[in-house]
Amino acid sequence: MASPPGPTHPADAPGLSPAAPHGGGKPPRAKGGNIGLALTLPGQIVSILVLVIPLLVALYMSFTDWSPTRGSLFDAEFVGFENYSELLIWDTRFLYAVLRTLCISAVCLALEFAFGLSLAVLFMRRFRGKSLLFSAFLTPMMILPVVVGYIFWMLFQSSGPVNQILEFVLGPDVALEWFRSAPLAVTAVIITEVWHWTPLFFLILLSGLNSVPENPVRAAVILGANPRQVFWRVVMPTLKPVIIVAFVIRTMEIIKLFDEVFMLTRGGPGSATETISLYIYKLAFNDFQLAYGAAAAFLVLLGALGLIHLLLLPVRNQLLEVKR
Amino acid sequence: MSIPKLELVSLVKEYNDGAVVAVDGIDLSVAPGETIALLGPSGCGKSTTLNMVVGLEEPTSGDIHIDGLSIVNIPPGKRNVGLVFQDYAVFPSMTVRQNLAFGLVVRKKGREEIARAVDEVAELLGMVGRLDVRARDLGGSEMQRVAIGRTLVTKPAVLLLDEPLSNLEAAARLAMRRELRRLQSEIGLTIIYVTHDQIEALSLADRIAVMHAGKILQVEKTSLICERPDHVYVAGFLGSPPMNLLAGEIRPGVAGAAGPAFTHGPLTLALPAGCALEKGSYTLGLRPESLRLAPESEAPLAGTVSLVEFRGGDVVVTVDVASVKLDVILPATERPAMGQSVGVDFDPESLVFFGGDTSRRLDASPMGRPL
Ligand SMILES: Nc1ncnc2c1ncn2[C@@H]1O[C@H](COP(=O)(O)OP(=O)(O)OP(=O)(O)O)[C@@H](O)[C@H]1O
Ligand SMILES: [Mg+2]
Repeated sequence: MASPPGPTHPADAPGLSPAAPHGGGKPPRAKGGNIGLALTLPGQIVSILVLVIPLLVALYMSFTDWSPTRGSLFDAEFVGFENYSELLIWDTRFLYAVLRTLCISAVCLALEFAFGLSLAVLFMRRFRGKSLLFSAFLTPMMILPVVVGYIFWMLFQSSGPVNQILEFVLGPDVALEWFRSAPLAVTAVIITEVWHWTPLFFLILLSGLNSVPENPVRAAVILGANPRQVFWRVVMPTLKPVIIVAFVIRTMEIIKLFDEVFMLTRGGPGSATETISLYIYKLAFNDFQLAYGAAAAFLVLLGALGLIHLLLLPVRNQLLEVKR
Repeated sequence: MSIPKLELVSLVKEYNDGAVVAVDGIDLSVAPGETIALLGPSGCGKSTTLNMVVGLEEPTSGDIHIDGLSIVNIPPGKRNVGLVFQDYAVFPSMTVRQNLAFGLVVRKKGREEIARAVDEVAELLGMVGRLDVRARDLGGSEMQRVAIGRTLVTKPAVLLLDEPLSNLEAAARLAMRRELRRLQSEIGLTIIYVTHDQIEALSLADRIAVMHAGKILQVEKTSLICERPDHVYVAGFLGSPPMNLLAGEIRPGVAGAAGPAFTHGPLTLALPAGCALEKGSYTLGLRPESLRLAPESEAPLAGTVSLVEFRGGDVVVTVDVASVKLDVILPATERPAMGQSVGVDFDPESLVFFGGDTSRRLDASPMGRPL
């Protein structure tokens, strides 16, 4: 754990403890470090407890067969890795929920990135009404996920606005039953999610584009690169860390995808839109299998950690590098 | 003379609808293989001039010719003009090799041609062993080498360097200056070199163009410009220390002088007999090199030594003559003491007069002979 910097200038140290002999032993800096540690220790202990204890309890729970109908957690039977092996080997519903979540996530993130980047590039130019549009484009991500889910549930109703527009454009009888067909339900979820979170990509990429240094771009232009080459060969590599961080943030969020799906489809039809979170929610609150759900949650946590480390791999050194 | 490689014709650049005139009607012609230094203080329009030549900025009016043909309507990448930035502007995520190859890769040249050109330039710049290092891991002078090399690979007709050495520390700057000299002589490029360091300009350029407030005040051979500044501003800018400049008047018959005399505040200087200048306001220039110390009784000016500065080969002595400070450069063997009373003498022919209203040097010396 990082302790706050102590007095780094050796001359400060005698002021702190005038009686301390200077000859042998620790350099004066260590003294300051200890004081820093001592001062922050209570805070660190509290935050460790707050962070770690619930995690440890949940971890313990995942090794039992506890259920709220069966009294105290500590009376529940310890079952070792049974929950985990069940999940990994037998539970195809879990497997499908994971794969489904990954697929939906991949499609959503690709679309959000593409739209966000296009909008950001558009916003690098001057045009009328830019600042108004800017505020408008950022609004979706400020709406509560539950509300977004609710709004799109309304939009996708059989006689809702989406179908009305489709009928107007494509003629009558094209009304779609969005929540009764698996592909359509997945599409509805993806549309909702992309609408909701494209603004985050847009915002991050726009600030990234704005901080791309000007001179390498000008140098590329002078060396004969056309606008497309400038963008892909000079601007995008500079943006790489920003892009990856945007993906990491969104990945962490989207593998927890819950609210919108819950409001739109409750995972249906069948389990066509059942995401990991939705499955765990059902395990816990429909089937009261809390211990089993906890095990699933830990598997997802491990998977997410691995995934994010993988994502960060190409820019890790660049992000951790200390600039002179 | 053959047609100039690069020619700027009444070039003007205004910003904000004419509220800022960054470049105010520049005429300049650069011969093939010549290096011209654009020397001037910050904000005088040096970068703006280069940006117009390379095509990053569009001139408000005027024209730019390369080999006699106007290039103002040609897009930047096709003008065959290279520009090297002060902050290097290398492509940080690419290797040195990729940086060097960039100009040819984007022009879709053949792989072998690219490899050959990159090797050649890497050889020229001594970067052969560093070709696979990422540009962001390079040191400052290596980055600048890559930036220059990446431009040379495209074989530009004209190379523009915008303060290429100012971001380097002193030692690296000196080494790179030598390197640039070597490149100049090895490949005979036509170069415009922007700097506000006159030592750099003097050591690299064939001619120096001094810019001030968007205008070129004087273009002159490097070997001559310090001795023949054409404008008060140039005289006060070049040389170390620069020329002593005294703004004053010539009046016929002032007290204590027989003929016409030049007065500057409390200081009065009798002009040599036969002086051709009419009365009026002038600026008198006294080059520190052409001043010398003399016994008080024999010298036209007298004062006390207020500062003695040893510079190895010579000494700069500041003499207070009636509240006017005059810099005098003496050989290192002469070392007057601080506070000593001395006389200051000069050869009348070394006096330089600038018109009080035009600020331009007057062609004739006070003795009526051309300088
Ligand atoms: N885009 C712009 N809009 C308005 N004014 C500008 C713009 N670019 C430059 N200027 C002004 O034009 C003048 C000349 O600028 P320029 O960058 O050419 O100076 P410079 O001689 O290169 O100075 P430096 O030595 O600091 O690099 C400055 O006063 C600057 O403020
Ligand atoms: Mg500049």
